[in-house]
Formats: sequence, structure tokens, C-alpha cells
Amino acid sequence: MIVPLTHLLLLASILFVLGLICVLIWRTNVIMLLIGIEIMLNAAMLVFVAGSHRWGAADGQIFALMIMAMTSAEVSLALAMVVYLHWRKKTVNIDEFRELKD
Amino acid sequence: MEHTATYLGLIPLFPLIGAVVIGLLHMLTCKNNPLPEKLYGALACIGPLLSFFLAVVVFVHLKGMPAEQRFLVHNVFTWFAVGDLHIDMGFLADPLSSLMLLFVTFIGSLIHIYSIGYMAKDQNFGKFFSYMNLFLGSMLILVLGSGPVVMFVGWEGVGLCSYLLISFWSEDTNNVLAGNKAFIVNRIGDLGFVLGMSYLFWAIGAGGFDYLSLKANAPTISPAIGIAVCLLLFVGACGKSAQIPLYVWLPDAMAGPTPVSALIHAATMVTAGVYMVARFSFLYSEFPVAGSVVAWVGILTALLSAIFGMFQKDIKKILAYSTVSQLGYMFAGVGVAAYSAGIFHVFTHAFFKALLFLGAGSVIYALHHEQDIWKMGGLKEKLPTTYKTMLIGALALAGFPLFSGFFSKDEILFSALATGHTGIWMIGVFVAGMTAYYTFRMIFLVFHGKPRVQKTFDHAHEPPAVMTIPLIILAVGAALAGVLNLPGIFGGKLIVSHWLAPSLIEHHPHMGIGAEVLAMIASVVAVVIGIYIAFKKFGQGAEEPEFKGFAKFGYYKFYVDEIYNAVFVQPYKGFGSVISRFIEPNVTDSHVRFSSWLYRKAGTAFKVFQVGYVRVYAIYMVIGLSLMSLFLSQSIN
Repeated sequence: MIVPLTHLLLLASILFVLGLICVLIWRTNVIMLLIGIEIMLNAAMLVFVAGSHRWGAADGQIFALMIMAMTSAEVSLALAMVVYLHWRKKTVNIDEFRELKD
Repeated sequence: MEHTATYLGLIPLFPLIGAVVIGLLHMLTCKNNPLPEKLYGALACIGPLLSFFLAVVVFVHLKGMPAEQRFLVHNVFTWFAVGDLHIDMGFLADPLSSLMLLFVTFIGSLIHIYSIGYMAKDQNFGKFFSYMNLFLGSMLILVLGSGPVVMFVGWEGVGLCSYLLISFWSEDTNNVLAGNKAFIVNRIGDLGFVLGMSYLFWAIGAGGFDYLSLKANAPTISPAIGIAVCLLLFVGACGKSAQIPLYVWLPDAMAGPTPVSALIHAATMVTAGVYMVARFSFLYSEFPVAGSVVAWVGILTALLSAIFGMFQKDIKKILAYSTVSQLGYMFAGVGVAAYSAGIFHVFTHAFFKALLFLGAGSVIYALHHEQDIWKMGGLKEKLPTTYKTMLIGALALAGFPLFSGFFSKDEILFSALATGHTGIWMIGVFVAGMTAYYTFRMIFLVFHGKPRVQKTFDHAHEPPAVMTIPLIILAVGAALAGVLNLPGIFGGKLIVSHWLAPSLIEHHPHMGIGAEVLAMIASVVAVVIGIYIAFKKFGQGAEEPEFKGFAKFGYYKFYVDEIYNAVFVQPYKGFGSVISRFIEPNVTDSHVRFSSWLYRKAGTAFKVFQVGYVRVYAIYMVIGLSLMSLFLSQSIN
């Protein structure tokens, strides 16, 4: 074991928090938010792979593969919706879309 | 034939199948392309005729058995079983029910045939026959039911059909109101029936709740409960058979088509109460007190409705009051424990009253729906068959010697006298005279004298054969049915009484032959006087008398309907409006309003979290997930 599990968890936590900050605070651009979500998903995948390596079980790696597949599907849908949102209001600023509140 | 018992289930089934088939055909086709009336007529008559045929088979089978074992039971399936209460959908044929069965199916079939003519060109021809078949099926369930619960199924079924058929011509609001009245008054009676049945079950139902078991257990019932059961069941009978104080619906029920009045409100359904009392003869004979109440209510009803009948103008109303009056006689009969006499009067009454109603129907048909007897007259030449048959019916109703009504009514009166109910006998003889009077008042005004309204008279014509043939058959029955129960002094053998004996518990009272002859002479004299007065007043044609005094009081039925309206209906409506105006908005609704207010307030309170920024929702999610992870990590350690 060259890299200890703690380091991997630490790296994953940093990645996750960075993604979270991106989504919650930093950006209002929808595409940037999607990238933030991708970063958080990657953090989660890293934890799965690390766990899989630590306990010598394939489950975590399988999960990582499935998350990849899920993510690609999600991104394609999300980008289609981004196109649609832009077509509606000529902007991709997430804070412009608050019609559901009223 | 050992399979005869299984036919019992089929007897009510045939008309019920007919009702479903005709009803569906009518529903599917009445809008666009109505089916021919002949098809409906044929379909409608098949069921009753098949039932009649099976009724004859059952009757013959019973007749071939030894007198003491004359009963057939057929349990089709177990309806429900709860604790001690085990109810089979079972049918019982014994001498009593088989006799009822015979004449219900026979007269039912005839009236179905007659209706084909009477209802011709009605736009709801199919619907009418569907209801009629449904009625007949329910009536047969009522008669054949092996226990009170199955009887109650039929009891409610015939009540429903009565309602549907009274308000059959529902374009007129009055008809609908008459139907409602019948239904509501019957409900009051049914409450008594249900209570009586429940008490009976509570007292002796554990040993089986069909007539045969109840009969075996009847001696163990305590007097107080027994009398209560008898009186409560009689309340039910009052509702269905139009006795004081629940008789008010029957005259209004004449709003329905005339064949309905003949079948339901004269020949069959209204006699269900009498049948029920006879069915429970094992109870009523244990408690003569309850029987006396029944007899007195019956004879007072007979008197009161005979008074009303004397002053009516509508031909069907006269017959309706005569029905109430005759039902009173029947209750007087079963009340003094002369069950076979009561049932025999049911039997003969079914013939002559169905005949009179169908005759009245053909008069109404000939005059294009004119019902006022003061607008008729001289119809003897125009409607010879109707006249002759109705005359026979009137003689039977009046109790003219040797016609069927004479023997049955006389046997009731004699039984009352022989059991020491002298008061009932005296009122009964007096009412017999009144019956003769109002019956012949109607006959003289309708058929004799000169026509009062020339125009309707000119257009009058004898109805088609499909209507007159049932009249002739019924007239033969009305004239000769008495022979079946010829008393000893006429050399007869009381065939019907002996036939019924195994089903009933009764003691035949004996008085000297001299007393019997004297009682008979008294009622004959009363009848002859009644007919004579009617002849004197109306025989040569009379003008409509001035409408005042007692006649007006009698025409408006002593204002009983108005009194009921003031005493029961209006206070009830007032009570309803108090509830709807005060109790409902302030008590019931306030709970509902409180909960809706609560949810609205809660919604307003939580609204502040809905800011509309997606990222804020994401923060909520993060907070929620964090708390959940925290909780999970706590519980793992």
C-alpha cells in the first residue's frame, strides 16, 4: 500500500468540498454548477475505489463504473436542459430562473 | 319426483332473469331503435308462466304427500353465518306458501298479459315489464323464503318495485310524490319488522332462524318478549298492508298504471302483511292479546276506509279504499286466530280485486284516461264484457251470497263471533253493508243511467281481447273460488282450511249450526240493504250532489293526511331546518373549518423557506444529508 487510505479520503473530501463550494457559493452559471456536481461525483467515486482497494473487494470498482455511466446520462440530459433554458431567456444564470416560487 | 324441492329456487328465478333481460334490452335500445312491443310482451310473460307451471308442479307434489309431512325445503346456499346466526338462502314450500304461490303466479301471469294491451304505445314499455317481472320475483322470494330474513329480502324488493311502479309516469311530480310517500311510510313499517326480527332472534334464534326451527322453539319464548315481537312484526305488516295508522300511502299509490294497482296494490304485495302474520301463527296463537290488537286494528281500518270509500269520486280511489277495507277484514281474521279464514280471504280477494282493478283499467282505457265516476255513466252498452265481469267482481267484493267474497268474509266474521269478539263481528257486519253500498254506487254510476259526458261516451270502445280475456278468466275465479272452501252447512268440506291446517296453528271454534246460520243471515241482510240503498240513490242515474258537510269531510279522508302533515312531516322538516341552520354550521362544520384553517396557517408558516433560488434548495439538501450522515454515524458506533 503506497498511498494510505487516509490520504485518499482526505483528497476525496477536499475535492467534494471544492465541488460543493462551486455549486453553492462561487458560480451562478448553470454549466459551472454541472461541473461542480461532476467534481463531487468524482470525489465519491474516489472513495469507492479507495474502499475497494483497502478491503480487496470488487464492489466499489463496479459502483464507480456505474456512477460513470449514470453521470454521462445525466450530463447529456442536463446539457439539453441548459440549451432549452438558454433558448427561453437568453441566459444561463441560475438565479434568473425562479418562476416556480410564485 | 324427488327433485321437486330443487324447483323452488327456480320459481323466483324465472321472473328475475326476465327482469334483467328485459331491462338490459330496454336500456340498450330505447334511445335509438326501440324493439317491437310484441317481443317485450312475450319475454315478460314467459317468466311468470314458467313460475306458474312450476308452482302447479310443487302443489301437485305436496298434495301427493301425507298431510303431516307436506313441506319441501331447498337451501340453495349459505348466505351468511355469524355466531349463532346462520342464514341460508333457503326456500320452503308448505301448504300455506304453495297456495300463495299458486295464485300469485296465476294472477301475476294474467296481469302481465293484460298489461300488454293496457301499456301499448307507452314509450317505456320495456321498463314497465322489467319492473313488473322484478316485482313478481321479489314477491315469490317473500312467499317462498324459508325464514324471516329471506322473507325480508322479498319484502324490501316488493317495496322497491312498488315505489318504482307508482312513480312510473315520472313526468308528473304528483306521481313521484306518491311514490315517495309509499316508500317512506313502508320504511316506518319495515323498522318495526326489523326490530321484531331482531328481538325474535335474540330470544329464540340460537336454535335456527327459519320457520320450522322457530316453530319448534316458540313455546320457550317468554310472554313479554313474545308479545313485543308480535306487535313489532305487526307494525311491519301495517306498513306493507296499509293498516291504521300507516294506511295513507295506498290510496295515493293509485297514481301508478292500473295493472300495477291490480297486481301490487290489491292482489299480492299488500297481502304480504297478512301472509306474514299467518306465517308466524305459531307466535300469534301463543299470545291472544297480540292477536286481539291485530284484529281490532284490522276491523277499525276496515270501518274507516269504508267510510272514505263511500265519498270518493275517482274510480281507482274507491277501489283503493275497498282494498284497505278488505285488508282490515283479513287482519281481523288472522287476529282472532282464524288464520285459514284470513288467508282464504286473501285468496278470493286477489281474484275479485284484481278483476275490479283490471275492469276499472279497461274503463279508464276506453274513456282515454278519465277516472272521475261523475263523468261516466251508461257504459253498460259500450263495454258489455267489462260490465259483466266487473259486476261479478262487485258482487264478490260486496259479499253477495254464493260469490267468492261471501264465503271468505263470512268465515272471518263467524270466527270473530265464535271466539267471543262480538264487537268485531258487529262492526264487520256493518262494514259489509257499507262495502256493498260503495261498490254498487260505483257500478251504478259508471255503467247505468245516462252518459254524463257525451263526448267521452261516444269515443268509448271495448278494449282488445288481450285485455278482456284476463277479465273473463278472473271473473270465473271471482265467482267460483268460494266453492273451494264451502262451509259445512252448504255441504262443503272446507277444502282450503284443511289444506292449510298443517302450516298453521289454529283451533276451529264451534258454535251451534243455528248461530252460524243467524250470523250468515245478518251479513246477507247488511249486504242486501247496502245494495238497495245504492240502487235507490244511484240506480236510475243521479246528478253529482252538492259538495258539503260530511261528504266533503269524507272525501278529504277526515283530513288525516293534513293532520299527519302537521303533526309529523312539518315538525320533522322543522327539526331538519334547525339542524341545517344552527347545528350543522356551528358544530359539525366548525371541525372541518378548523382543520382547513390549521393547514392553511401551517402552509403560510413554512412558505418562508421557499425562496426560489435553486442554490438555496441545494443548501437545504446538503444540510439534510449532513444531518442524516451524522445520525447514521452515531447509530453505527
